[in-house]
Amino acid sequence: MDSASTPAAAVPPYAIELVGITKRFGTFTANDGIDLRVRRGSIHAIIGENGAGKTTLMNVLFGLLQPDEGEIRVDGKPVVMADPSVAIAQGLGMVHQHFKLVPSLSVAENVFLGMEIRTRGLIDHKKQEDRTRELSRRFGLAVDPTERVGLLSVGIEQRIEILKVLVRGARTVILDEPTAVLTPQESRELFATLRGFANDGMTVIFISHHLEEVIEVSDTVTVLRRGKAVATRPTSELSKSEMVRLMVDREVSFARPARPATQGATVLSVRDLWARDDRRHPALRDVSFDVRAGEIVGIAGVAGNGQTELAEVIAGLRPASHGAATLGARDILALSPASIRNAGLAHVPGDRMVRGVDGNASIASNLVMGRQFRAPWRKGWLLDWKAADVEATRMIERFDIRARGPADTVKRLSGGNIQKVVLAREFTNDAPFLLIDQPTRGVDIGAQEAIHDEIMRQREKGIAILLISVQLDELMKLADRILVMFNGRLMGSVDGEEADEDQIGLMMAGVAQSQVEAAA
Amino acid sequence: MEVLTSLFNVALLVAMLRTTAPILLVALGGSFTTKAGIFNIGLEGQMLIGAFFAVLGSIWTGSAWGGVLCGVAAALVFALIFALLVVSFRANEVVVGLALNILAGGMTISLMKAVFGTRGSIVGRGIVGLPKVQIPYARDVLGPYAQLISGYTPMVYLAFVAVPLFVLFYRRTRLGLHIRVVGEKPEAAEALGISITRVRYTASLLCGLFAGLAGAHLSLGYITMFTENMSSGRGFMAVAILIFSNGDPLRVLAGCLLFGFADAFSLRLQTFGYPSYLILAVPYLVALTALFALSYRARPKLIRETAESMRRFLRAETPSDTTRPS
Repeated sequence: MDSASTPAAAVPPYAIELVGITKRFGTFTANDGIDLRVRRGSIHAIIGENGAGKTTLMNVLFGLLQPDEGEIRVDGKPVVMADPSVAIAQGLGMVHQHFKLVPSLSVAENVFLGMEIRTRGLIDHKKQEDRTRELSRRFGLAVDPTERVGLLSVGIEQRIEILKVLVRGARTVILDEPTAVLTPQESRELFATLRGFANDGMTVIFISHHLEEVIEVSDTVTVLRRGKAVATRPTSELSKSEMVRLMVDREVSFARPARPATQGATVLSVRDLWARDDRRHPALRDVSFDVRAGEIVGIAGVAGNGQTELAEVIAGLRPASHGAATLGARDILALSPASIRNAGLAHVPGDRMVRGVDGNASIASNLVMGRQFRAPWRKGWLLDWKAADVEATRMIERFDIRARGPADTVKRLSGGNIQKVVLAREFTNDAPFLLIDQPTRGVDIGAQEAIHDEIMRQREKGIAILLISVQLDELMKLADRILVMFNGRLMGSVDGEEADEDQIGLMMAGVAQSQVEAAA
Repeated sequence: MEVLTSLFNVALLVAMLRTTAPILLVALGGSFTTKAGIFNIGLEGQMLIGAFFAVLGSIWTGSAWGGVLCGVAAALVFALIFALLVVSFRANEVVVGLALNILAGGMTISLMKAVFGTRGSIVGRGIVGLPKVQIPYARDVLGPYAQLISGYTPMVYLAFVAVPLFVLFYRRTRLGLHIRVVGEKPEAAEALGISITRVRYTASLLCGLFAGLAGAHLSLGYITMFTENMSSGRGFMAVAILIFSNGDPLRVLAGCLLFGFADAFSLRLQTFGYPSYLILAVPYLVALTALFALSYRARPKLIRETAESMRRFLRAETPSDTTRPS
């Protein structure tokens, strides 16, 4: 009784407790009796493959989903999270993976949206801006409260999302894959901010794929595998390979595969290429590079620095405003997408649901698309569906696509398997040049490895590969040469064997290669 | 010279302001739904039903304001049905809007037959028009130019005064901000606990209010009568203005003034003996052309993409063209 009346003893050590949380979607159990205890003032990482149930668990905690079984306790007291407003009232705040900001509004308007400060019934912009400035100073989240959000970079958008959470009085901040869109430097700044929160007595829960950053920043790790919490340990007690083993239940190699040197002839040559984005702003500025046969050239960069536009120009989906690009001996800038493909391009697009597959069609028809005029799919004037099914069955086996059969609807498959359908089609075209944009976006670690192996096999066959990825570790594993893009320009070129994450990170943030090397 | 002075004079400006008012009112109403992310093609019907019930109400109550109230109420009922189908039942907004437009057209005709036993138009029969507001001392100060600011029905003043209020509404009020957010980024609104449904219902009903006022002005202010289909495409014109202006009050005003000018101008031209069918098409042609030219940079995606692919196609025809200036 006595001890309970003193505040120090009254506060239980756990800010958040999830006890026996089970969440089912139909017959699929996304969370299976998960226990999770998060100590106040700590940074708690939740790791696991895609589909392991991380996001579901956080949505349950935040009141976006209702658990079928189990209990949530905040500061030791049971709480029913009926909807997010309850969670917010309990001092929880969530920074979603996809930002929910309104581009035409100012930073301050976004921060205070839904809880506007008003004087005499009218929104007081000045007061809102002052409060935002004050908060951003206090937590070291530099933003200009008067700027339009639509003009800001992704890293700053994330700061605004964090400010939104803080202004609502959050003491526990949940972040869903916060670094997926950041440069290594921006990530480090974020980690410093999170560490500051923890030192202030706040609690941080974050979901991540990137094991390095989990090791770098978190105090405790919980590993989820197929809906179950398989381990919760202090981070210092786990190595990276142990984490992977816990996540996928087997060994996965991160090592850079050994490879023979490339001596091939130039297949793709890009010279002084300029192009504009959808808003007519320059998206590519004076880009020049070559890709030789049997070589993987990687393009690194934070998403939105011209990589998408580069892929689209090469694939004939976006006009160039200036420059030249040749594939083999042909100028491809004047050609239609179909002619470029005939000239020797195979393309794995960055957004597979938009340009990679027709989600409503079967696997077999997706594998036929674009080459229906050729053998073995063509029979006289008609399509030979029997042959298409035979081909599809073979590819499903070869690329290990987990599906019920060639007639299965593509939309039904998981992200990794949909990606494999795209790869199966593009990698079997015998094209001398492969353009691969984000090969493993949203693909879990097991499938990632299979895709990486397949890319290496294509390289061995002497195919020229341009690999665009926002995941630096992927490029450092696969690429022979890494070109870094920033704001539409190539900032430099790094040999894959000697690539250094810090140097590339600086170039991704816009520092010229000469300066990076001078500093090193 | 003589032709020009007889075309362009104070009377033309006065006519322009008068013809601008109803379309401005209905377009401002539509700005609520446009900003809230609803494509409201039902403005025409709401305006027409408002015009009819305004006449009916004015006969029943013997007062112009009673008429306005009835017109607004009828338009609100239409707006509520629209919101119910589109927001709650997620029906396609174009289909629902068109259906309500057709319903309004048919309903006014049958009600006219049922209540008055006539077709075509209702004139006289005790319809009370809206009073004209004479601004005191205007004639003494401005002389012949007094008619520019004085002598309109209250709706005309309301329409123009509403524009700055709308600017304030979207910038400084909570509801205005939430309407914008719901239209621009609904998932942001949802994540912050702003009810999309409630905001969209509110926007639809506010739209109905203004469409009803516009209708009442048409049948009680403009002229004191009701004729079949008397909104004659103004609602659709407002929809076009809304698409090009994205619902911004000042740009809505500019678009409406343009249309009002063209409308007044074509009335003038009629006195010169041109074929009337041709002349009646003038305001729509002028307004559309000008709007298209003005918003060329912000032209709708579809047009942009079509132009883009045509350009690409033409270029693909001439592959020798390798160096291409931007």
